[in-house]
Amino acid sequence: MSLYLIQLINGLGIGMIYFMISVGLSIIFGTMNFVNFAHGAFYLLGAYLCYAVVAATGSFWLALAVAPPAMALTGWFAERYLLSRLYHAPHQYQILVTLGLALVIQEGVMLVWGAIGQNVATPVLLQGVVVFGSFVYPKYRLFVIGFTALLTFVLWLALERTRYGAILRAGTESTEMVALLGIDIFRMFSFTFALGAYLAGLAGGLTAPISGADPFMGPGALSVAFVVVVIGGIGSFSGALAGGLLIGVVQSEMSSLWSEGANIMIYVAMALVILVRPRGLLGRA
Amino acid sequence: MTLSRRSFVKTAIGGAALAATGPAILRPAFAADVTKIRSLYALSGTFAEAGKTAELGARIAAPQFAKEYGIKVDYKAVDSEGNPGRAVAKILTEIQQNQVKYFVGGVLSSSALAMSEQVHKANGVFITAAGADEITGQNCNRSTFRWSVPTYGASRETVLPLIEKYPNAKRWYTITPKYVFGEALLQNSIDVFKEKGVEHVGNSYHSLSETEFSSYLTNASAAKPDVLLLLNFGSQSTNTLRQAANFGMKQKMKILMVWAEGLEQYEEIGADIMDGVYVGCQYDVSIKSPGNKKIIETFKAKGAPVPSYSSVSGYVSTDLILRGIKAAGSSDPAAVIKALEGLKYEGPTGQEEIRAFDHQCVKNYYLLKGKPKAQMKNKYDLVEIISSGKSFVPQNQSLCKMA
Repeated sequence: MSLYLIQLINGLGIGMIYFMISVGLSIIFGTMNFVNFAHGAFYLLGAYLCYAVVAATGSFWLALAVAPPAMALTGWFAERYLLSRLYHAPHQYQILVTLGLALVIQEGVMLVWGAIGQNVATPVLLQGVVVFGSFVYPKYRLFVIGFTALLTFVLWLALERTRYGAILRAGTESTEMVALLGIDIFRMFSFTFALGAYLAGLAGGLTAPISGADPFMGPGALSVAFVVVVIGGIGSFSGALAGGLLIGVVQSEMSSLWSEGANIMIYVAMALVILVRPRGLLGRA
Repeated sequence: MTLSRRSFVKTAIGGAALAATGPAILRPAFAADVTKIRSLYALSGTFAEAGKTAELGARIAAPQFAKEYGIKVDYKAVDSEGNPGRAVAKILTEIQQNQVKYFVGGVLSSSALAMSEQVHKANGVFITAAGADEITGQNCNRSTFRWSVPTYGASRETVLPLIEKYPNAKRWYTITPKYVFGEALLQNSIDVFKEKGVEHVGNSYHSLSETEFSSYLTNASAAKPDVLLLLNFGSQSTNTLRQAANFGMKQKMKILMVWAEGLEQYEEIGADIMDGVYVGCQYDVSIKSPGNKKIIETFKAKGAPVPSYSSVSGYVSTDLILRGIKAAGSSDPAAVIKALEGLKYEGPTGQEEIRAFDHQCVKNYYLLKGKPKAQMKNKYDLVEIISSGKSFVPQNQSLCKMA
């Protein structure tokens, strides 16, 4: 198999992981028009909660069941008592407050678990690799891709084919109109924010066996998430998927063509997309 | 009660923050003849992991050697943020506002080089453990001393013994950060390959902000090497190794990480992945030497049972400043520099000596191998020493023109 074909497949895998990291931010940004700079910190805390549960019980699956709901609760709490006050404030205030929240979470993680990163072992069931000819791929990464694909479908159904999704999308267009129809849109926003935090926590937990849990992993994840959301188009769920896959493939292919520039090419790809399609690949007009 | 090492580090982080913002707890009431020492390590940001541990070593050493040598010391930790620009701004503040002349620190080579220049301009003394050859090479200066072995020795003392151990492993692939330190490690390794007739089958550069290494590992796998040589460091080498293990590369080839940070990093990587992996390091707790025995006892007495490379580098750097002051019988930096040049002492790696012509400390560098879990005596017993040696650029090849 050609190296470039192998890199294409690997890039799609990386892209699914990037989508996983970004989808929570995309939902909050797209549906609530809220700039959440604490998304990377939610991802970080999700990874650490996963580590803590694995360290205490030895079960990665239990960790995956516990950490994301705990993050949803954290997100709900933050939205209910802090961030909901900022819905009518300019975006700068949202950035300042969520950035502050991110720093509090990051420093809190260091106080509890220390500045040294932690290892989360790959679950025994998913250790090892699968071999397709000359292409070797870790079983765990395959699981993450499959899991993310399933989650993508479920989220798409929830947002596009359910009453909740319809209300949420309507609320994004006109909060006042939805409220006039007797729907508590702010309760829906709380739920959505909790969902975004849940997804960030899930991404943190899922990527922990790949990249470990590190107190400084939040900003990197946040920057990837923003690139994905901007490339895909703000407010577009399927755009986030396309954005994640695009930068995954760009990064992977570039590592063979010009490895030192592979990381920077993510941002070049973003700039090119903005130049050609200012609203992103699948952004709404 | 004996605290675990992690708990101790956590407590020390709080202490560092307190010392950085509050009154200097080590500052004596009568400050007229007090020697001010500042550590500049990355206490925040991506490289804080090593920085905080190094600062812990400096914090332990300052009061201990102040007492032992009869010197009054005002020690304070300053956060370099792992950013050369911020480090320079902070070092200038300490020099201009607080008249500080003695500095230890620099985790990143770029920060260390920037700090070195500023301390030299102020006629101070700076002891670092950063790796780039330039520090005691073409950018050497009279104010700067380096305890750690630079990239030249790190490459030679790891790549050479592994080539000799596995003479049939002829194909080597490198993964390198695009950065002054990585470039130096790469060039030194390539020199060894040429010398021993080993084929360098490829290299993947990556940026300093990279966290996802699967595509570089895919490049490496495609080249079918016998040895994968990791020339990155910190969390990047941790992630590269972790992901290489996930891709099943440990079973297909030998993996050598030339520049490991020591115990914290081995713990972070985990015993399962460390098993069978070769790493190069400046220090290991299992070194049998009187100097190391003393350090282990000191750390134990302070509640930090197992010293690591980072903490020992901060510890020794601070010791060297105070040792120099004691030997000079003066806190005048010019006299201290003179006293440090050619100084021989019992260090953690055995007999160590500071070369006068480039201010490089001559000490051992170690090749270690990750132990199988079943052979570990305790959770810190993750590696065993395979070989050690001293390799340094000889004076007639050195680019150092002492300024």
